Amino acid sequence: MASTLDAYAGLTRRRYIALALLSAGLLVSLLLDLSAGPAGLGIADILGGLVDPESLDIRHRVILWQVRLPDALIAVVVGAALGLAGVETQTILDNPLASPFTLGVSSAAVLGASVAIVLSPAMPLIPQTATLPALALVFALGAGAVILAVVRFGGAARETVVLFGIALVFLCNALTSALHYVADADALQQIVFWTIGNLTRAGWWEVAIVTACLLVIAPFSLRHVWWMTMLRGGEAYARSAGLDVARLRVRVVLRTSVLAAFAVCFVGSIGFVGLVGPHIARLLLGEDHRALVPGAAICGALMLSAASFLSKSVLPGAIVPVGILTAVIGVPVFLTLLAVQGRMR
Amino acid sequence: MTRLSLEGVSVAYGRHRVIHDVTIPTVEDGQLLGLLGPNASGKSTLLRALSREHPATGRITVDGRAIQDYGHADWYRAVAAMPQAPPSLSALRPVELVWSTARTLDLGLSDRALGARIDGLFASLGLEALAMAPLATLSGGKRQLVGFALAMVRDPDVLLLDEPTSALDLYWRLSLMDIVRDRLATRGGVGVVAVHDLDIAARYCDRLALIHRGRLVAAGTAGEVLTRENLAAVYSVDSEITTDAAGRPDVRVLRVAHPPE
Repeated sequence: MASTLDAYAGLTRRRYIALALLSAGLLVSLLLDLSAGPAGLGIADILGGLVDPESLDIRHRVILWQVRLPDALIAVVVGAALGLAGVETQTILDNPLASPFTLGVSSAAVLGASVAIVLSPAMPLIPQTATLPALALVFALGAGAVILAVVRFGGAARETVVLFGIALVFLCNALTSALHYVADADALQQIVFWTIGNLTRAGWWEVAIVTACLLVIAPFSLRHVWWMTMLRGGEAYARSAGLDVARLRVRVVLRTSVLAAFAVCFVGSIGFVGLVGPHIARLLLGEDHRALVPGAAICGALMLSAASFLSKSVLPGAIVPVGILTAVIGVPVFLTLLAVQGRMR
Repeated sequence: MTRLSLEGVSVAYGRHRVIHDVTIPTVEDGQLLGLLGPNASGKSTLLRALSREHPATGRITVDGRAIQDYGHADWYRAVAAMPQAPPSLSALRPVELVWSTARTLDLGLSDRALGARIDGLFASLGLEALAMAPLATLSGGKRQLVGFALAMVRDPDVLLLDEPTSALDLYWRLSLMDIVRDRLATRGGVGVVAVHDLDIAARYCDRLALIHRGRLVAAGTAGEVLTRENLAAVYSVDSEITTDAAGRPDVRVLRVAHPPE
């Protein structure tokens, strides 16, 4: 009989192979996303244009580098950020329904965006064009701070934190509805458009900001993979091994709130990715967070990138808001995986 | 050589004191101390104080050194506490849980050495075939054995077990206690186990401490602690105590005298 070590090493190896395949899938999705659209740029043109921009004529170069690449990359980094934030939130709160969306961060971002659209307040040091993402960010960070305060000072149980987050969602939604009530038709349309989620507003600055946020926060997540894996065995066992679970919870809620706030402030409320991306990763890669944490980020990125590709492909000449497609793609994939896993048991 | 002692230990949750000035004679190397007492008597709380999970007043020492004076890493490598509830129902596999715990504790073992230790542990606990099965598919008893493996993987000097056999069948109840006894006899160290089963306590523990409402009622050998009077005072039962062939008290409960207060 094979030793436990051999079996465990084999399992870990298979998971890293699955991780590599997911990464390859993400690259394919990214290329497809870059090639989607009416400009007649094929995959070969895209690859050539990425390696040597001068190989493209000026029109195609502008389309690739100034329009498509920022849109495609924002899908990848926002998806990765939401996937990462989702998996950490679910583990630290031991709740499969927990995500930045259910904790109110996304709803607060929508409220902030609605305030910017309806009331158009002037913000010191912020140009008028950046007021919307700035306010979305401030409100999302504010929601994160409130949740953090509940975790840190309220001595709150995990269930209380989730319930408080859901209450925060309802509060933000009610305030957003109040703004809908007083908004004119044009503002109302803008709010709806923002709420659905849209990747086409992003430019290189937005890509750089979300990427930087991801690069700063991801190493902390990777540093804690053993702790987070151990937590899946139960808080009491983690504590008995010396883990300060309350302190870890504060750290994780802090970093996931910041990550989710930066992710949604530029593209709108795409909360579904943060909820289901980690579950798809868990079904494919198991609970070992060495594979699950990067896997959830890649699954989130893949979901949003595929949604971005489809958003440009399903209706010729039109772009369907990506927030609609994340659920349309994600739910069947998720249900299929659940069914396959159920049959394998 | 490991020794554990408790002097004047009190524990409170907020303003509510649940352990009152408990002193137990030193547990010597190789010995197993059994904590007995009704539900909510304070056994688990005392174990949490011993494991540093909950602060206590008084003096708790391991090898003459106050437990607060140990560094974080040294303490959790040397002292293993097994909680009362089995590990959670999750998709995590036993080997992943034990492995991640060992890596978190940084036991200084190579993959090969850690693998060999886990193999040995799982074999002794009948978990070899279940090492790669999700925890959610295991019975409560099997998960309790995984919880025991989590404590044993660090090869601790002090083993603190909170009702480690509560979900186990008779075979594994006795086998687990045999493993604890063998380990203390061959490797040394001290053990403290909270149990409800008086037979297990009499059979496996060198010393017993009977706790009621957070106060020590009696401490000593099984013969000194398991008396008719003590059992009546703490458990509200009428009992008959005889001595078995090994000289251990054998408790036979005759009737429940009145509901416990």
